[in-house]
Amino acid sequence: MVDCARIQKELVDCNKDKGISGISVTLDGDEFTHLTGTITGPVGTPYEGGIFQIDIQMPGEYPFEPPKMRFLTKVWHPNISSQNGAICLDILKDQWSPALTLKTALLSLQALLSAPEPGDPQDAVVAQQYLRDYPTFAGTARYWTETFAKRSSMGIEEKVQKLVEMGFPDVLVRKTLEIVGGDENMALEKLCTG
Amino acid sequence: MLCEILQVITRESLLVAQREDLRRVMEMLNLSEQHARTLLIYHRWDVEKVFAVFVEKGKDKLFGEAGVTAKSCKIKHAPAAMTCEVCMEDIPKHKATTMDCGHCFCNNCWTEHFVVKINEGKSRRITCMAYKCTAICDEAIVRNLVSARDPDLAERFERFLLESYIEDNQRVKWCPSVPHCGNAIRVEDEKLCEVECTCGVQFCFSCSSEAHSPCSCLMWELWVKKCRDESETVNWITVNTKSCPKCYKSVEKNGGCNLVSCICGQSFCWLCGGATGREHTWTSIAGHSCGRFKEDQEKQAERAKRDLNRYMHYHNRYKAHTDSFKLESKLKETIESQILMLEGKESELKDFSWLTNGLNRLFRSRRVLSYSYPFAFYMFGEDLFGDEMTPVEREMKQNLFEDQQQQLEENVEKLSKALEEKYDGLEDDNLKQSRMQLINLSVITDRLCKSMYECIENDLLGSLKLATHNIAAYKSKGVERASELLVRATKGNNSISCLQTSSSISATGGTVEVGRSSSSSLNFENGCPSRKRSKREAFGNVLFDLNLPAEVIDKS
Repeated sequence: MVDCARIQKELVDCNKDKGISGISVTLDGDEFTHLTGTITGPVGTPYEGGIFQIDIQMPGEYPFEPPKMRFLTKVWHPNISSQNGAICLDILKDQWSPALTLKTALLSLQALLSAPEPGDPQDAVVAQQYLRDYPTFAGTARYWTETFAKRSSMGIEEKVQKLVEMGFPDVLVRKTLEIVGGDENMALEKLCTG
Repeated sequence: MLCEILQVITRESLLVAQREDLRRVMEMLNLSEQHARTLLIYHRWDVEKVFAVFVEKGKDKLFGEAGVTAKSCKIKHAPAAMTCEVCMEDIPKHKATTMDCGHCFCNNCWTEHFVVKINEGKSRRITCMAYKCTAICDEAIVRNLVSARDPDLAERFERFLLESYIEDNQRVKWCPSVPHCGNAIRVEDEKLCEVECTCGVQFCFSCSSEAHSPCSCLMWELWVKKCRDESETVNWITVNTKSCPKCYKSVEKNGGCNLVSCICGQSFCWLCGGATGREHTWTSIAGHSCGRFKEDQEKQAERAKRDLNRYMHYHNRYKAHTDSFKLESKLKETIESQILMLEGKESELKDFSWLTNGLNRLFRSRRVLSYSYPFAFYMFGEDLFGDEMTPVEREMKQNLFEDQQQQLEENVEKLSKALEEKYDGLEDDNLKQSRMQLINLSVITDRLCKSMYECIENDLLGSLKLATHNIAAYKSKGVERASELLVRATKGNNSISCLQTSSSISATGGTVEVGRSSSSSLNFENGCPSRKRSKREAFGNVLFDLNLPAEVIDKS
């Protein structure tokens, strides 16, 4: 049996200061077994400006067993699978403590975004890139944030279309956008300078 | 001497077995039993290791690593009510519990935490609920809280703690008998040995499979797997047959051209396996082309066939000796009845233990002989030691070994034949002569086994450079039997309390009785003498040192 009373309290507590922490949790339907968390990308990282959604499954033994979390938003990070959003984080596994909450777990995820641990990777490809070629990694991570984690701003397809209309070839536009992390102005500059 | 080295730990003696280790740590470090247990579980019941860490790193480090918190007096005077950080409810003080580490949560949450951990199989190391706190929870608190909710689970917790002495201990292993006899075996120093449980099962202490020396554990594991898969055969089939594209049966090509037809009527090209029509010439199939036959395929086929032949050779020998062993175990009854007859007769000879000794010698050396074939298969094959020896070296060593093996084989057969004689029909003079012959054969066989082991240990396995393979040492008297752990009478109250606890544990279902009777019933059912020997038989218990000359044995 899921401890509804505790989850209820957690929800209230978490959403109280979501303006400051950038973290919120909402119920998915009426059941307390399925929730969705939201975190903002930390400032000064390639994830800045992005809003990331996390799927949260509550096990029956919660809080004595850790919640199962997975990124719904695609993210380019050494400890998060680029395929399915699976997360490699100790407190979601054997270091979980019943005294931790959904909020602390989501805060840890936010911290993970600003401090990746490529030594203990979930996605080997990303981790290798992070270690060997950081600029490319940062570029890709920014591009993914731009593409998948920004709902309000212009979609990537629109940017492509805009630049193609200016007379640049489609393939080159996409490549350049990816290199600069999705920023259309930087892309334009780069395209113009050749 | 031997009895002290190998001991059987039954369910009743489990507590007694660990008491000594617990007591040493408790006295040395001035600890309570539960803290000593926590330390020992963390260090896998290695008392010396606990002391070594204590000396090297100091008490604080030793305790900290293992999660022992010596009772702190810093328990704050909590207000009458507090908020439990887990369920986030306000709880009156009397419904909350503070652990030694100082963290306080409500009893409901503690209980739930314990239940989850016990069910996860983590009874031996239940840590505090606080984040990053590694302190191990107080046994007594766990016991009390859990038994209030689920007495059965509390009992399981208790058993898990006790069984840690077996599960987490390098020197102790469960007996692998099926159905399980409930026993475990404890060895003193040598962990590479073969042991016999009081239930009759003989096993290798190091890998818990059947006693297999002179094969190393790795060799035995590979051999068992190989025999099970018949992987050579499979290998041969894959190389020499192709499956029909229609009915998927394996088809072997028995000559002729590359157009093959399956018994189902389907024709196909042998080279590519694709279905074809029936029109063809010697070199090509009408409307079908898939390239030429490749040379390496031919080599692969040759190699597979050679490997298979080699495996078959060793497997046949191994099997033949194992079968002989099974047949010879029937001799036991014949010999026993002959001894009865002989003892009833008027004769100068009164003692017939030489017969039983000869028979035991036959059993032991037959085992050695049969396991020496898988050993040779790996020793001189390329699976394990391909890079260890040059072909010349290999051949030399193989000759050396096979020479010994053959001598042993010859003598084992002689011994087997000698034991089939009708001794009860012999006159005294002939009987004395037969006795001399049997004793001599026994002594020679024992010596040959010993020297084969020496050859294996020194010249073959000992000279390996890349790999390390160790085998259980040869013992003239066969696999060592474990003795019952004596329940030593300890001082006063102590012993009473320990017996009470142990009886309460065994009371869970009369484990002792069940365990024994089931193991002997298994013995009866499959009658497999290679691994089981009836516990009560007095037959093998008379031990003579067969290395002594016959006359000496005669006199005694």
